[in-house]
Amino acid sequence: MLSITALRRWIFWIGLFAFIAWDYRASDPVNLRLEPPIIAAGSGLPVSGGHCARPK
Amino acid sequence: MNTLVDSPLTAAPAGTGRVWSKRWPIAVAVLALFGWLLWSVSARQALLLLVGVGLGWALAAARFGFTTGWRHLIEQKDPSGVYGQIVLLAVLAALSMPLLAQFPETQAALGPPSVSLLVGAFVFGLAMQISDGCGSGTLYKAGLGVPLNMAILPLFALGSFAGSAHLNGWLALGALQPVGLVQQWGAGTALAATLAALAVVAVGVGRWSGQRFSFNSMPRRWLWGALAIALFAALNLLIAGQPWGVVYGFGLWGAKAATALGLFDPAANAFWSDPGHAERLHQTLLLDVTSITNIGILAGALWVAPRRPQDARPLTGAQWAVGLLAGFVLGYSSRLAFGCNVGAMVSGISTGSLHGWIWVPMAFAGSLIGVRVRRRLGF
Repeated sequence: MLSITALRRWIFWIGLFAFIAWDYRASDPVNLRLEPPIIAAGSGLPVSGGHCARPK
Repeated sequence: MNTLVDSPLTAAPAGTGRVWSKRWPIAVAVLALFGWLLWSVSARQALLLLVGVGLGWALAAARFGFTTGWRHLIEQKDPSGVYGQIVLLAVLAALSMPLLAQFPETQAALGPPSVSLLVGAFVFGLAMQISDGCGSGTLYKAGLGVPLNMAILPLFALGSFAGSAHLNGWLALGALQPVGLVQQWGAGTALAATLAALAVVAVGVGRWSGQRFSFNSMPRRWLWGALAIALFAALNLLIAGQPWGVVYGFGLWGAKAATALGLFDPAANAFWSDPGHAERLHQTLLLDVTSITNIGILAGALWVAPRRPQDARPLTGAQWAVGLLAGFVLGYSSRLAFGCNVGAMVSGISTGSLHGWIWVPMAFAGSLIGVRVRRRLGF
């Protein structure tokens, strides 16, 4: 029998997994040919990720 | 101190055999996700997942709570948590600033000094004491299984999305251009100035609390926690090319959900119609830097969870309502403040952004009120 804490955890993780799975299916397919460099520093390519400190 | 969220995190560790029987499925799941990301998404994202796991493990195992550290300083004049944060900032600045100077591809966490920053940081500091979790704290406590923080996470995302959608309106109230110390002065001078400023803060905290900074008297968990988090945060900068952040990913998740439900038109919004953000709305969140480290932090904390059994006492209805509202406000205000304790304070200060130094006193002022509200609500 699951404890209430374990049940809450399962709900949380199943919800998170379901959201990620739905997003993966609903999003554009991943284009592996456009894969970003493994290590950005030293790659010579500009960084294009989003960050909360940036106003844009 | 008898609070809901303190109790599970200070509970007695479970036995070793039981711990490992619960850990191996987590390890298998993380390795499977790592392998799948490596094969199907991107090697960089696979590496960043592991960086996130490391951050989550360090935060949870060391119980490195930014919110708790501030609260203990305010209520008990115990500066050890704040000293741990100062060590983290100093070590991370020493690692990050030379990286920024050496590699022009890497970017600092530069936010604009603005009305939005002042308001957002103050409100964030207040709300984080009520919900007992900042950006990283909410993540790692949700990973540990603390009920309020698990429930707060979706509301944090919703608030972060709403804040980003309103951000341009807030910026119109007045904003200056971001100021980056590394760009202005070079890495050496910027690092010296940052370390000097952190030393001034440490002296001030020592005088106020009556306990001077000393490595010998600091609880070990704050020290090794600071070093481990600094190492993983520096790896984030090296691999992603941008500093560690939390809030952007949450806002992206909220924006994706709102768009899919037909409640939001990104093309009509100044922030989300920006080409970079619009592109990320169409991509899987597994390609987003902040999202993947957030998932990693949750998994890293889950790894620690079997050692910290949950025995939280139940919250009252009023405490749940206020806690959840505070979670939404956390998300909203952290967008206005150009980051939470991670994006603005840790990443801002360690990469030489002036906005990080404005964020700290405003958030601390908010926390002074927040700890009183928290006490009044009986948390």
